[in-house]
Amino acid sequence: MMQLIVHPADELPIYRQIMRQIVEAIAGGRLRQGDKLTSHRELAEQLVVAPLTVKKAYDELELLGYVETQRGRGTFVCSEPPKMKPAEQRERLRAAARKLLSEAYLGGLRFKDAAEILREADREISSGEPSPASGIWREKEES
Amino acid sequence: MNPVLEFERVERSYKKGVPVLDGVTFPVEPGEVVGLLGRNGSGKTTLIRIAMGMLHPQAGSVRVFGWSPFENPIEVKRRVGYAAEDQVLPGHSTIAQMTAFHRYLFPSWDTAWERQLLELFNLDPAARIGKLSKGQARQVALLCAICHRPELLILDEPGAGLDPAARREFLEASIQLLNREGCSILFSSHHMTDVERIGGRVVLLDGGKVFLDRPLDALRENLCVALVPKASAAESAMVERQPGCLRARSIGEDWHAVFEGEPAAVSRQLAASLGADGIRCVQVPLEELFVELLGGQR
Repeated sequence: MMQLIVHPADELPIYRQIMRQIVEAIAGGRLRQGDKLTSHRELAEQLVVAPLTVKKAYDELELLGYVETQRGRGTFVCSEPPKMKPAEQRERLRAAARKLLSEAYLGGLRFKDAAEILREADREISSGEPSPASGIWREKEES
Repeated sequence: MNPVLEFERVERSYKKGVPVLDGVTFPVEPGEVVGLLGRNGSGKTTLIRIAMGMLHPQAGSVRVFGWSPFENPIEVKRRVGYAAEDQVLPGHSTIAQMTAFHRYLFPSWDTAWERQLLELFNLDPAARIGKLSKGQARQVALLCAICHRPELLILDEPGAGLDPAARREFLEASIQLLNREGCSILFSSHHMTDVERIGGRVVLLDGGKVFLDRPLDALRENLCVALVPKASAAESAMVERQPGCLRARSIGEDWHAVFEGEPAAVSRQLAASLGADGIRCVQVPLEELFVELLGGQR
């Protein structure tokens, strides 16, 4: 399917890390409509995490409309990714953009720098580069 | 479905008036992986030994598959895999002799899996147990605990004495076991990243009681740590009185307090009630939560 990475000591619980990476893969076109996801048991063995954790990530993705499980066949990327009303989507993106820019300006960056960061993120999402571990506790590496 | 393992108001002390376990109650449901956490001396090993019928509780009861491990030891042991923290294996026998003995004891012993695990753990069946490193002997004990594919696996500190690669290999083996339907695991551990990897629920022992018992994800997502400058609260009690506070401890110029709730909501609540600036709330990994809930003051 695709390469996933989990960091147990990350700020995000493992099932959310799995969800985020799959959503990014769909957004970046690395997972396409109708693609089959690795079974949750198999992915659990690959990532060395509890099968129920992977199952939870898949279940949540299904609730959000990204994937669908066909009994006995497996879990597939939905043909129709979940759609918000265009107005609502713009509203949410604008809020996220304001948050991003505030953080950038508070950190002394300019608009140009923030735009460069967006371009980098775009490249990462399309190429499937794993995102860095998030959060201020990142220095706590696995013992 | 009935729990596979059930502790009911279990009490135990080794010295009169000093309870190690002071009324511990919790179940392990079929298919669950429960991480048993607590500081050294919090009674994890005592509780596990009681579940295995090796130690009597002074009050309360334990049921394994509905049986008492004291009255039906054979019925219980057939279906349980167990590795103690300080498992003593006979030093003069070889690994192959050990596994042959277990194969003889357990009709459900999976020889193909045994071979696979010997390879994964990089163990030589002809090696004498007395000649193995501490970590390798531990791997043999763990292999003996899981190769009969038990319905319930009880492990006391499975990661102790293992290097990170060996720990990961053991987790891989546990996940293979979990992928077979119907297996449940109770394990004590000080390796929080291992608990994050395979734990579904966390039971935290403190002061002889169950201090917290929650799904791991709920623990991670519904608790946060607030860093409160001491300038805004003179005593820890002032912070601990705030609704939703589980514990506050002193760290230099700040109080570190564990709160129920979303970081943003907790930080609004604290800003309003303590009228303070500079309060920061963050969600943290299990290791940090453990330290904030049970660690000492500085």
